[in-house]
Amino acid sequence: MKPSVLRSTVLLGLSLVMLLVWVFPVAWGLVTSLKTERDVLAYPPAVIFEPTLANYHDVFFGGASIVPNLVSSLIVSGLTTALTMLFAIPAAYALARLQLPFKRGAGFWVLATQMLPPVGLVIPYFLLLRRIGWTDTYQGLVLVYLTFALPFAIWLLVSYFEEIPREMEEAALLDRAGRLRALWHVVLPQAKGGIAVTVIFVFLNSWNEFLFAVVLGGNTVRTVTVAMFNFISLEQTQWARLAAAAMVGMAPVIALGLIAQKHIVKGLTLGAVKGGGRR
Amino acid sequence: MSAAAVSLAGIVKRHGAVTALAGIDLEVAPGEFFSLLGPSGSGKTTTLRILAGLEHADEGTVRMNGKDVTALEPGARDVAMVFQSYALYPHMTVRENIAFPLRMTGVSRRETEKAVQEAAARVRIDHLLERRPGQLSGGQQQRCALARAIVRQPALFLLDEPLSNLDAKLRVETRVELKRLQRALNVTAVYVTHDQEEALSLSDRLAVFMDGRIVQVGTPEAVFSRPATVDVAGFLGNPPMNLLPARLEAGRASVEGTSISVPSLAGLGRREVTLGIRPSAVKLAAEGLPATVTMCEALGEDFYVDLSVGERLVRAKMVNGAERPAERSQVRIRLEPDALHVFDRHTGLRL
Repeated sequence: MKPSVLRSTVLLGLSLVMLLVWVFPVAWGLVTSLKTERDVLAYPPAVIFEPTLANYHDVFFGGASIVPNLVSSLIVSGLTTALTMLFAIPAAYALARLQLPFKRGAGFWVLATQMLPPVGLVIPYFLLLRRIGWTDTYQGLVLVYLTFALPFAIWLLVSYFEEIPREMEEAALLDRAGRLRALWHVVLPQAKGGIAVTVIFVFLNSWNEFLFAVVLGGNTVRTVTVAMFNFISLEQTQWARLAAAAMVGMAPVIALGLIAQKHIVKGLTLGAVKGGGRR
Repeated sequence: MSAAAVSLAGIVKRHGAVTALAGIDLEVAPGEFFSLLGPSGSGKTTTLRILAGLEHADEGTVRMNGKDVTALEPGARDVAMVFQSYALYPHMTVRENIAFPLRMTGVSRRETEKAVQEAAARVRIDHLLERRPGQLSGGQQQRCALARAIVRQPALFLLDEPLSNLDAKLRVETRVELKRLQRALNVTAVYVTHDQEEALSLSDRLAVFMDGRIVQVGTPEAVFSRPATVDVAGFLGNPPMNLLPARLEAGRASVEGTSISVPSLAGLGRREVTLGIRPSAVKLAAEGLPATVTMCEALGEDFYVDLSVGERLVRAKMVNGAERPAERSQVRIRLEPDALHVFDRHTGLRL
């Protein structure tokens, strides 16, 4: 066998293994969501069963419908993402362009906020929000999410803005665009990929967040991750419905990922290369 | 005094502890093609950026057509610039790139379209309007940058080494076109380059920069034939001027241990100097400075002869057909008074 053929065979094999590892839980969940509760608990697991959409019907229209929770999640994640981008873009642009004495260290501290175990913050945040009466409110949860999302988004965006040659903006300034229009017409279109990646990361993180949502939320603000938890109760775990809810909860994220696939791959590799070279 | 198109007075620029510009005074006449020439790091690009308003001087004033623009933003100065990297907007087509300056000033769509066509036709890229910069060759990108600069008919045209990214053949072609374009538009142009050939061939006048100062301003001929300092002498010319330390005394010069008679320098009295002689002015003769031929280098139309005078290397440029001396042979160099440039050894100034 030629080395190149061998190489691609090995690579293909490896990627299949990787794919299996990633796909298996999702596929298992999908299969589970199509079973009846009885088939789920069958041992050995039933390979052949009569698929049913009853779980999905239940999850959408039943007593424990997660539709309000999807709306909740959408509001929280959407608001978090929108506010994050609104502040992160100008902040990152300024950081990328200005010569500030603490710039070098700032990147590390931003990362440091991501290293804090969230569980250590959840109680202080709860106490804070309760004092101002913002527990179980959208503004409360979004505010807390912003404390994580904003530094992360700024840090991510700075490297994209630094990639854009300064001369291009200077050309725009000479062409009488002024700072703001130079940013709008020349800088932002070129940072599109980075902005897309950042939007997705921020949206994903807040969509998937569980801990803060369960502690700081309540009956008014109950995101889909929290709602899924309701299928697990003391007496019984409704695995099939849980799986169906999980599938529904995953759908928007997967859709978003597919739409922006191209940008994500490009953005991630750029980030990887830039990671070593950030000054 | 009539209003100069551009005048700089006492411009000082510091970057932290480093002084990039140590007092620049400069006047450019309307319609002039003016070059800022100097080695890298000499301050010529900083000067151009201060003219553009992209950087602000720490001291001094910038005037354009008599108006003080020192504090004005780049957009308020009516200048256009061609960057070394061209700085085209990669996400816009050539048409959109050229139209951008007009779009920013609210020119009507129909007028913009007309101006874009005209500008593109002038630099012969009107067939490429729908392409993006990434789909253009280096020369086409350069033309696109030029078109974007000329489209709104600026009062002043700034060019920052616009030819340095082109290959040698294209560079010479574009050079000629650039000059033609400037003449046709009758616009004042300030051109930054470290390439003396470009500066000499393009400019009406040029300023030679060294270490953040202007050491000489003049026409290319004047600067070339009468360099004001030994640094300018050593910088201009290809190959550069030969420089030999010498001691003058009573009409004789002692160079590398040999004393020869140079009556024309008797008036300078007794002092330490640097003698400069252009390679093309080095003549071999029966009398003069003794030298050894180390190498001959043929270059088609002419050839170089490397000579060692004591420890020093002297390069002679000779036209083909002249007698070619044998390598390692002993010859003598005649120091013709007309061809000699004399600089004070300590100040470096021309005597």
